[in-house]
Amino acid sequence: MKRRDVLKSAGLAGFAFLAPSAWTIAVAQDGSRILTLANPTGFPDLDPSTSFSNDGLVLANVYEGLTRYIPGSGDTPAKVEPVLAESWTTSEDGLTWTFTLRQGVKFHDGTDLTAAAVKGAIERTMKIGGGAAFIWGAVTGIEAPDPQTVVITLSSPQPLDMIAAAGFAAWIISPAAQAQDSAWFNAGNDGGTGPFRIDSYEPGQRVIASRFADHWAQAPDGGFDKVSFEVVEDSVLAQNMLEGGQADWTYGLPYDNLESLKANPDLTVVSNPSFETLFGLYNTKRAPLDKVKVRQALSLAFPYDDVISAGTAGLGSRAYGVLPQGIWGHDPDAPIPNTDLEAARALLAEEGVTSLDLTMTYATSDPLEQVAGELWKANLEQLGINLTLQPMAWEAQWEMAKADPAAAQDIFVMYWWPTYVTPYDYLVSLFRSEEAPNYNLGYYANPEVDALIDSGATLAGTDRAGAEAAFKAAQRKIVEEAAAVFILDKPNIHVTRADLQGYVDNPAYGHVVFADSLSRKG
Amino acid sequence: MGLGRYLLRRLALSALVVLGVTFLVFVAAQVVPSDPAALYAGPRPTAAQIEKARAELHLDAPLPERFASFAVAMASGDFGVSYKSRRPIAQDLRAYLPATLELAAVSTLLALIIGIPAGAMSAARRGSWFDRAGGFGAIAAVAMPTFFLAMLLQAIFAQSLGLLPLSGRLSREIAISAPLETVTGFTLIDAVLAGRFDVLRDAAAHLILPALTLAAYPAGIAMRLTRSAMIEILGRRHILAVRALGLSPARILFGHALPNAICPALTILGLSFAYALTGAVLVEIIFAWPGLGRYVSEAVLSKDFPVIAAATFVVTLCYVAMNLVLDLVQALLDPRVALQ
Amino acid sequence: MTLFSRLGPKGTIALAVVAAFLLLAVLAPWLAPFPEQGAGAPNIAEKFLPPMPPHLLGTDHLGRDMLSRVIYGGRVSLSSGLLIVLVSLAVGLPIGMIAGYAGGWWDEALMRLTDVFLAFPALLLAVLMAAALGPGLLNAVLAVAVTWWPWYARMARAEVLTLRSQPYVEAARLMGVSNSRILLRHVLPAALRPLSVQAAMDVGPALLTASALSFLGLGALPPTADWGQIVDAGRKFFPERWWYSVAPGMAIFVLALAFAALGDALRDGEQKDA
Repeated sequence: MKRRDVLKSAGLAGFAFLAPSAWTIAVAQDGSRILTLANPTGFPDLDPSTSFSNDGLVLANVYEGLTRYIPGSGDTPAKVEPVLAESWTTSEDGLTWTFTLRQGVKFHDGTDLTAAAVKGAIERTMKIGGGAAFIWGAVTGIEAPDPQTVVITLSSPQPLDMIAAAGFAAWIISPAAQAQDSAWFNAGNDGGTGPFRIDSYEPGQRVIASRFADHWAQAPDGGFDKVSFEVVEDSVLAQNMLEGGQADWTYGLPYDNLESLKANPDLTVVSNPSFETLFGLYNTKRAPLDKVKVRQALSLAFPYDDVISAGTAGLGSRAYGVLPQGIWGHDPDAPIPNTDLEAARALLAEEGVTSLDLTMTYATSDPLEQVAGELWKANLEQLGINLTLQPMAWEAQWEMAKADPAAAQDIFVMYWWPTYVTPYDYLVSLFRSEEAPNYNLGYYANPEVDALIDSGATLAGTDRAGAEAAFKAAQRKIVEEAAAVFILDKPNIHVTRADLQGYVDNPAYGHVVFADSLSRKG
Repeated sequence: MGLGRYLLRRLALSALVVLGVTFLVFVAAQVVPSDPAALYAGPRPTAAQIEKARAELHLDAPLPERFASFAVAMASGDFGVSYKSRRPIAQDLRAYLPATLELAAVSTLLALIIGIPAGAMSAARRGSWFDRAGGFGAIAAVAMPTFFLAMLLQAIFAQSLGLLPLSGRLSREIAISAPLETVTGFTLIDAVLAGRFDVLRDAAAHLILPALTLAAYPAGIAMRLTRSAMIEILGRRHILAVRALGLSPARILFGHALPNAICPALTILGLSFAYALTGAVLVEIIFAWPGLGRYVSEAVLSKDFPVIAAATFVVTLCYVAMNLVLDLVQALLDPRVALQ
Repeated sequence: MTLFSRLGPKGTIALAVVAAFLLLAVLAPWLAPFPEQGAGAPNIAEKFLPPMPPHLLGTDHLGRDMLSRVIYGGRVSLSSGLLIVLVSLAVGLPIGMIAGYAGGWWDEALMRLTDVFLAFPALLLAVLMAAALGPGLLNAVLAVAVTWWPWYARMARAEVLTLRSQPYVEAARLMGVSNSRILLRHVLPAALRPLSVQAAMDVGPALLTASALSFLGLGALPPTADWGQIVDAGRKFFPERWWYSVAPGMAIFVLALAFAALGDALRDGEQKDA
């Protein structure tokens, strides 16, 4: 008997009265039919009209949209897949979209899906105007000429099939639920058509959902009866639950622990590119960062490869401008800089910059952003630049950046991910000139780039190739002028139990598990 | 000063203190560089959404007016909604406050159970190895960083030996398969009321590590205070007298000396409970305990002002109320206190 | 009586430990095996090495030598502990002295003010303040000092109350010496002595509180080594890579323990004197 075993049995005897009934027997009665998802955040808003956060994990299993986006991989191009809409057509000018609805779809309250319900759902979302409702910004009218047909008219051409596939603000809600307010949804009620319906909701703890028997699609063999969406904010606990078999899926574990997780035969580590990109916006309103060459020098001094290897255990990928791979408009040939301290020094000398004090703000307790800052700082020191790393709560960081560009940070480090799959979202939010800064927190203003982004947006609904060219041109300009340091595209790392079958990560929907397609082996 | 006047004066002071704390929280919130409207508007809001939220929250009203309405709301128990979650705060407090109080009560109990007898034993056997070891243990318990102790206990009892759950308040399986009905919010009591002894055992197992962590510091203090109080008392004349009469040491210790130490013990009780309320911030975070400490620390990080205000207000209220009760009990036991 | 005989064997050991930490902190650039890494320079080729020469306490997630980081971290901890006590004294002493000397309405108002601060759960208030001020060493010091000064105010008031009725103070007042002069020349020096003993003993608890704030992410700015912060960073890798958290955690513990033992010895010594 090893020492540890002795301790263990001695301890066991001591704690016999507490001997675990509940937590070791785990899910005693037929636990195999319960899927447990350990989510590192809570679910702040379960109202499908206004939800714009990590609640997507729950809502995507309870609600459905008209369409769904399936990203391309390798040679397979990306596509938009029918869900509640069976098919759709668009007029030549891209201003009128006609969706034909799937037959035999029921809401969880037993009523049928109709064109009027779709119209009502989108109109509710637009009327409340919260969360991601702006995705419907171009909609001028919704008609329901017959129960299976929805006609949506737009003020400008837009890729409405992709907008309808959004992970936020595009959920279809039953007419009865449309009349309810946010409090009703956040008390654990739902009005969706999805494969699961919410049984109970304990805020900050969990949502429990069970399979909806009248769902239009056939449930897979061995599919789960129940899904428990657990809020597990502590990564130590999440890892412990995965290892102990108390949870089937999680994310957000430290990259440096993945090696040992991979070695565990009970677990599978699923690594994918994501649509989430990390960058630092230069304050272009403040000397000397208003000079292109100084910004280029800073970007040349950034240790791209080291940050990927030390910060993400080698799993992240180089960012080619602001659009990550998998998003149309991504430019694999963008003229991105590589780490080159000598070139950086030369550029600084051209501008006569010999010493400099800069402040970089980033989100408190984001280890990846901190690693990026610490490694960059070490490089910049060699150039005579002192970088102060200032962690801040996101709210404070954002507030300071919006207040007064002249008194704000020099470099604003943040992540961006799209509301729906479009390059427009990244470019317009972060680099199109703004009168009062909201997300363009480098205060970048270039009329040429503005024009390119706008023309791309107009073409997106009708001429995808033309739009792509415009977006790429805009992005080239942004990269050339070093409006930001493009740090890396974040990998999506999910850890699942090895006996979980059918798991596919879809980066278009953040960290969403489509529980319907999963089953347990054996 | 009579007992009645003493009571009135203490009550008035407590009210003043609560008002002062309310004011302090309000001021702290004004210093915070953040825009409540942006927080209220939801994640990643557009500029238009923020403007709408600002109007909804009446953030443009002048400061004194805002403080007045804030103080009135606090006093009436209408804590408003969280800017971040938009949930009614009173509802959250009802869920979180019992969790914190339960943890604080159990850890206080542990601190007293460990600290007072150990201190008494040390005093009775001054200079023995027990006294020395106990003395070191007490000082070590005081010097140990709470968060580090929590990690060590977790590593030993949960991660390595697997004897106790790592964190949380109840096993998730119970919540999923057979949830416990909430009556008082105190899991231990609710479990007994419902006759659910599986839940009782589970809840107790979850309580041990966080309660032990929280108990370490006050147990150390309790031990030291008890020891010095007992040494002083054991040296008093009447104890020497009964000792001369040949009473057994145990009877002297527990029958005569300890009762005299009741006032110091009350002080210890107050200290322990106060420490448990404060220390809850760290311990609740590490043990994922769904209590006020965690609630307020999250709110602090996201600058969710109504939550910070409400939670601080409630914690301070508990704190002040407890001190008040202890002072009164002490005044009843020892009328000299009231005269001071 | 010499210092050592006054402190006793335990007190002498404690003093030696505190002195050793102070020495390491002051001479960190010369004593740390990898001073640059101690100050924050990354060395990613050697990340997460377990303890073995030349890295006696292993390395962290950026390959920095833990021993050097811990030695440098002592600078932050000791200075925050000392600064908290000093700032608190600077605020609490005048308030307490004015309250005690002026008496009456002043006394009542100032003491109720300290009551408010004392009634506020200390760590909660510190977290609130630190969050309002933002992370940073000085902000953390201020945040803790806000919860600390009332104790000194109370002590100073009590001292002044006893001193006020001393014959020499009475005499000075009767001779027409101005109040401020009496306070500064006669009361302050006498009050300072017991308070400074207390203050010296409070450095331990002060740095313990500061380390709790730093554990919550409200301490010194990276890449400055700060014990509480390092413990927190290592928590995600605990207990697999135990050295990451254990080294700084033990450092906080030992230093706080030494301060506590030293305080005990000082108090016992005073009692022996009396």
